[in-house]
Amino acid sequence: MKEFEIRFSGSGGQGLILVTRILATALISQGLKIAQSQSYEPTSRGGLSRSDLVVSVETADYPLATALDYLLILDELAIGVSDDIIGKGCLIVVDSERVSSKPKGKYKVHSLPLTSIAQKLGSKRVANLVALGALAGLGGFCDQDTLEKATRHHAPKGFLDLNLDALRAGFELSETLPPSQISNK
Amino acid sequence: MSISPENELENLEGNHACAVAAIAAGCRFYAGYPITPSSEIAERMALELPKVDGTFIQMEDEIGSMGAVVGASIGGVKAMTATSGPGFSLKQENLGFAAATEIPCVIINVMRGGPSTGMPTRPAQGDVMQARWGTHGDHPIIVLTPCSVKEIYEQTIRAFDLSETLRVPVVVLFDETIGHLIETIDLSQTNNRKLVERKWASGPQEGFQPYAMTEDSIPPMPRPGDGYRTHITGLHHGESGFPTQDPGQVERFIQRILGKLDQHRQQVESYEAFECEDAELLVVAYGITARAAKRAVKQARAKKIKAGLFRPITLWPFPETVFCSLAKGTKAVLVPEMNAGQLNLEIERHCSDSTRVIPINRFDGEPIAPGQIFEKIQELVSK
Repeated sequence: MKEFEIRFSGSGGQGLILVTRILATALISQGLKIAQSQSYEPTSRGGLSRSDLVVSVETADYPLATALDYLLILDELAIGVSDDIIGKGCLIVVDSERVSSKPKGKYKVHSLPLTSIAQKLGSKRVANLVALGALAGLGGFCDQDTLEKATRHHAPKGFLDLNLDALRAGFELSETLPPSQISNK
Repeated sequence: MSISPENELENLEGNHACAVAAIAAGCRFYAGYPITPSSEIAERMALELPKVDGTFIQMEDEIGSMGAVVGASIGGVKAMTATSGPGFSLKQENLGFAAATEIPCVIINVMRGGPSTGMPTRPAQGDVMQARWGTHGDHPIIVLTPCSVKEIYEQTIRAFDLSETLRVPVVVLFDETIGHLIETIDLSQTNNRKLVERKWASGPQEGFQPYAMTEDSIPPMPRPGDGYRTHITGLHHGESGFPTQDPGQVERFIQRILGKLDQHRQQVESYEAFECEDAELLVVAYGITARAAKRAVKQARAKKIKAGLFRPITLWPFPETVFCSLAKGTKAVLVPEMNAGQLNLEIERHCSDSTRVIPINRFDGEPIAPGQIFEKIQELVSK
C-alpha cells in the first residue's frame, strides 16, 4: 500500500470530519498509520472546513499535509484554499452542483453530482459518504468492505443504512466513470 | 477502538491521549475551567475519573482550579489541571505557591495564539518563557514539550512521575496542532507500568520536620491522617514549615528548592538528537515545529547537507550541557518557533560566542512547514 495524503474540504456541517474518521478507522484496520488534522471556523455550520489524513506505514515524520494525492471539494468555499499543497497528478473530486469552477493544473479532476445522488437516497447530508465512496473507488486507496465496516463503527445509529447506501452509491458511481485522465487546462 | 482483531492500533487525539495517560499515571483529581484548545482534556477526564473513583470538578475559574489542584495534592492525591494561554496566566499565582511549598501537581498548557484571547483555535508556541518565568520569584519548575500523540501520552505520565518524586510542579506544554492531532498509536504495550509513588514521611511523629534537609534535597511529605504535625505556607519557611525571615534559614531554603533540579538533572533532562554527530547546521525545535524540522533535516541529508536536529523534550531546565557540546563546531544553529523568538534567547545565551544563531519565526496562526526550514538550510549552504 502506497503512502498518501488526502483532504476533504467544503463548508462546516457537511460531515467532512466524520468521513475522515471513517477512512482513518478503515486504514488502521489494515495496519497503516494515520495522522488526522482539521481546521474549521468557530461556527457550528458554514464557514470553511477541511480535514486531512496523512497515511503511512510508519508514523509520519511530519503529520500535516504538504502534497495532496486526493482532494474532495464539496463546496465553492473550498476552491483555491488547497492550491499550494495539491500534489502532481492529484485526483480531485468536486461536487458538480455546489462548485462552479475546477482547480486548474495537471490534475485528474472529476466533477460529480454527489449532492443530487445523496438527495435521491434520502438526504443531501450524506453527500460526504457518496464522495468517500467515489474517491475510494477512483483512487483505490481503500476497499469497499473495509469502509463499510468502518462506517458501521462511526455512523449515527438511526442513519446507518442511509450512510451505507450513500457509500455504496459512491463506489457504483466510480465504476461508471472512464479511467482518470490528467487534464491540461 | 479497533475494528480489526489483528492489531490494537487506535486513532487517538493528542488531548485525549493526555487524559488517558493521566489516569494511567494514577491521577485521581482534576479541577479545571474549559478553554479552547484544551477542552477535550477536561471532557475526557470527566468521563474517565468517575470510572476509577476519582474526582472531577469544573471550578468557577482557573484561579480556583489551580487552588483545588494544590489542595487535592496536599490531601495525598495525584492532581492535574489543563488550560491554554489566558487560563495559564490566571494559574500562575497558585502555581508559584505549589513551587514554594513543593506540592506535586501537573499543569497542561495547550498553546494557542496570544497575547490575550488571541486566536483560540490556531496553534502557537508563545508560552515558552511564561512556562519558565510566569510566576514571580526564583522558583523551580519542570516543563516538558511533546511533539506527537504518542509522546503526549508518555510525557504526561512522566510529568506525574517527576512531579511526585521531586515535589515540583510540572508543566506539559504543547501546541494546538499536536493537541488536536489524531495519530495512530498502540497503547497495548504501555498498560503494565508500575505507579510511581511520592516519598511519604515515615518514622517518629515526635519532632517531625516537614521541610527537613535531606541528602536528596526532597523532604518526605506527610500523608494526611498519618498523624504528623505539619504546616504549609507560601511565606519563606524553615525546616519546621513555619514562616521565617532568618537570612540563614531563608538562604538554605531557596538554595535547596532551586538546587534540587540540578541535583536530579539526569532524571529531569530529556531530548532527541537526530543526525547531530557531524552536523554543521543544527536545528533546535520542539512540538509540531520539530516534526517539520525533522522532515527538513532528512531532505537536507538526502542532498548531502550535514544538518541535524536537537529536540529538547525537557524544555526547562534546558538540557544545556549536551546542547552546547553539539552546537560547538557548527556553522549555524537555526531556531524555528511559532512565536517572535523565545527559545532563541536561551540558545543565544548558550552558544552565540561559538556559532551563528538564526531564528525562524512565525506567529500568524499557521504551523512552520518543513519547506520553510529546508529553504533556510539551503540558503545557508549556498552562501
